[in-house]
Amino acid sequence: MSAAILIDITRCIGCEECVLACKEENDLGPDRLRPGQQAVDGLSATRFSTILRLPDDHFVRQQCRHCLEPACVSACLVGAMRKTPEGPVIYDSDLCMGCRYCLVACPYGIPRYQWDESAPLVRKCTLCYSRIREGKEPACVEACPEEALLFGERDDLLEEAHRRIAENPGQYVDHVFGETEVGGTSVLYLADISLGFLAWSEHLGERDLPQLSWASLKKVPGVALGMGALMGGIFWVINRRMKLAAMEADVSLAENDSDV
Amino acid sequence: MSRRLTILKSVLWTLVGVLAAVSVVRFLHGLGAVTHLSDAAPWGLWIGFDVMSGVALAAGGFVLAGIVYIFGLERYRPFVRAAILTALLGYVAVAVGLLYDLGLPWRIWHPVIHWQVHSVLFEVAACVILYLTVLTLEFLPVVLEHRLFSHRVFKTVLRALKRVSIFLIIAGIILSTLHQSSLGSLFLITPYRLHPLWYSPIIYVQFFVSAVALGLMTVVLESLFSNYFLGHTLHRRELSGLGLAASIVLWAYVALRFGDLVVRGVLPTALDGSWQSWLFIFELGVSAVIPATLMLIKPIRSQIAGVGTAAFLVVGGMVLHRLDVSIVAFARPEGIGYFPSWEEFAVSVGIVAGGILIFLFFVEHLNVFDDVKGHPAPEQPSYDPATLHPLLPKRFALPRMYSLGFLLGAAVALPFLPLGGVEHVPVPVQGPRSVQVIIQDRGENETRHFALATAPGETTRMLMIDGNRDGDLVLFDHDNHAERLNGDASCETCHHLTKPFDTNTSCSECHRDMYDERSVFDHDIHVMRLGEDGGCVECHSDGSTVKSYDTVTECSECHRAEIAGKAFIETPPERWGPAVGYMDAMHTLCVDCHLAEVLARPEQLPESLNRCTTCHDVDWREDVRRMAPKRERPQRVAGDTKSSGSRQ
Repeated sequence: MSAAILIDITRCIGCEECVLACKEENDLGPDRLRPGQQAVDGLSATRFSTILRLPDDHFVRQQCRHCLEPACVSACLVGAMRKTPEGPVIYDSDLCMGCRYCLVACPYGIPRYQWDESAPLVRKCTLCYSRIREGKEPACVEACPEEALLFGERDDLLEEAHRRIAENPGQYVDHVFGETEVGGTSVLYLADISLGFLAWSEHLGERDLPQLSWASLKKVPGVALGMGALMGGIFWVINRRMKLAAMEADVSLAENDSDV
Repeated sequence: MSRRLTILKSVLWTLVGVLAAVSVVRFLHGLGAVTHLSDAAPWGLWIGFDVMSGVALAAGGFVLAGIVYIFGLERYRPFVRAAILTALLGYVAVAVGLLYDLGLPWRIWHPVIHWQVHSVLFEVAACVILYLTVLTLEFLPVVLEHRLFSHRVFKTVLRALKRVSIFLIIAGIILSTLHQSSLGSLFLITPYRLHPLWYSPIIYVQFFVSAVALGLMTVVLESLFSNYFLGHTLHRRELSGLGLAASIVLWAYVALRFGDLVVRGVLPTALDGSWQSWLFIFELGVSAVIPATLMLIKPIRSQIAGVGTAAFLVVGGMVLHRLDVSIVAFARPEGIGYFPSWEEFAVSVGIVAGGILIFLFFVEHLNVFDDVKGHPAPEQPSYDPATLHPLLPKRFALPRMYSLGFLLGAAVALPFLPLGGVEHVPVPVQGPRSVQVIIQDRGENETRHFALATAPGETTRMLMIDGNRDGDLVLFDHDNHAERLNGDASCETCHHLTKPFDTNTSCSECHRDMYDERSVFDHDIHVMRLGEDGGCVECHSDGSTVKSYDTVTECSECHRAEIAGKAFIETPPERWGPAVGYMDAMHTLCVDCHLAEVLARPEQLPESLNRCTTCHDVDWREDVRRMAPKRERPQRVAGDTKSSGSRQ
């Protein structure tokens, strides 16, 4: 099973009921900002999801995409980020050492850090993993009064999304955002505008990001062995030649001695 | 000891003092208190300089070890011990820098236990930990030569170490190759964030090749440093040789950078005149092209000044390259910058200062440079601080001076530190505004009702205030409040000087049920009505438990008529408490009716009448709970109860 959320931007009215529900579910408390730390998309350590209000009256919900091949999971060196079999990407605060490579790696810039804590943790949406395991919908989906959020199997939601596009071709951009980007995401968007601005690049490729690091990592054993063999070989050759040279010098010295 | 060395040490101790002061706040109050790091710039100076550049600057250890022990170029042997010591201290500095940068530094050992082999950072961590061990073993013989370790156990260890030394050297080269390149691989996962002039699918090769050149050049700089401060012999011919080697490696690096740009087809980006293109040209020029050219010319590289300048350029330029990759050319949301705080600089500089002090300690007590005979006779400084305090023996003079420097640094830093931790931005308060309103008097209960004046009529001026500091302005009848609160004597109820940061009382401090879901219950009234002190047990009937909301008698026990009959407000059962709050009440009053009206007259009323945004102006705000009704709605009469009154 692969749990997913379909967000239909055209249905969102920006009431932020989902944000409120998310805050209550995760017990996040009021938002606090540091000086000079304006919230870019409103996400923060105390806000796992937000509604971006675009000037042209579009309300775009921002949250973790729960990528199928998550960059944060492959980045985390202690395995604190984990892709669960059910779909959500979750975070184990007991393993985290606070390197923040996940913040660096995320193509959507989602994970947030508790900068004002002396023992800070990474904070992000967990797709209400515990609720999903209980068979419930995520809190935000349940709270949405307009059915702009839909929870279900990723394949079913993709089908539904394409059905909506086919039914109202004029109403939507002919693309389900998240279907193929960076290997596919579990949070899908239907919209009447391009949502490329939500990521670090307008045009995310279909290639997942972990394989880019793996391209270099898979060479590690080869490089280690090769470098070891090369250095060992060079040392052996040079050392032997120097010994031979020393021996020859000894021999010639001896010959000279015997000549005398 | 030479005078310049004394001055250097005093300065270094002062910097370490500043570091100590910053450390206290860093570890007490967290990263936010002392850094300018943010969610938009999660990695800053401590990663870019201390880790990325620190590891690269320590490359001299494996490069020189390879040159001397593998390639047998014996004439470079005088540099090798110092290079390995620099590398060791460099990696210790990296580890210390990481302790500052990690959010949870006490878990720095986690990668040893929790392996995640798909992470580049794991590979870096593993290699750095192993290499730190290898470097310690490589340097240990130098320590064991000291007369303190003359016991035969140490001699046995020393012999064993020397026997395995070639394996240590090769292991060191393998590990260095892996993690010097992997520091570049860290950014393979950020193709959309790192600028194309720096992002490259072969960034790890570029990192490795540049580290080799940088390693050669740090050895040169270190040699000049030792000559200047410690009076060690300069090996001119060897320095020139290192320069030539670095030049060749640097040309390879330039070819890799340019070749990569050409193959990826982004070469035009390097010349498009953006600040990134200028930075790229500047960085590549300073770090590689200019010094590599300089060192190709024999008369220049044979001179100490020539090779020194080139070394300085390479070291500065390569540090810039690491900073570019990890900070400058790394995308952040528009309008959000990152420039390190002074505390970040203080920590980076302080760690380097501490490293140099340890380096000097080793140099003074161990045979780090193979040419001990080069030591000049110690000369007395012209100003001797010991003379000021004849009570203490003279040999305490220098330690006293250094500790003075340390304390001075710490003392100067302390007043500038945010000792209270992170200060949060106060919610901006809108200033009070005077507006024209229509007065609508109602006779019955002597309350007056107002509306913003949009049509001619009997008007007066009234205040609009941001009474709860939540960004929402409401009409505020100041006269009425003063009158009800006992006239002229009432000013202090709201305006007071006893709360330093609070110039007047929030509306919600008196109108307590504004946001509170259960605030219809007024404890004071109940106490009064139930007969002051004796009344407690009426509700808090169980004397054995703590008096709290959880143990109190249900309201419905007394208020049977109102609550048991559910009065006029239906609320969802799970939210059922002692009484419903203001927001639940309002929502039920409006939304149900709106929905019913829409369903009853779908043609005449807009479909969206029952939606949240009909009444609410949802905007960026500190707390979504404070979802106040829309502002500036001229037609609506504030406090008009006609519409909801029909329901009662």
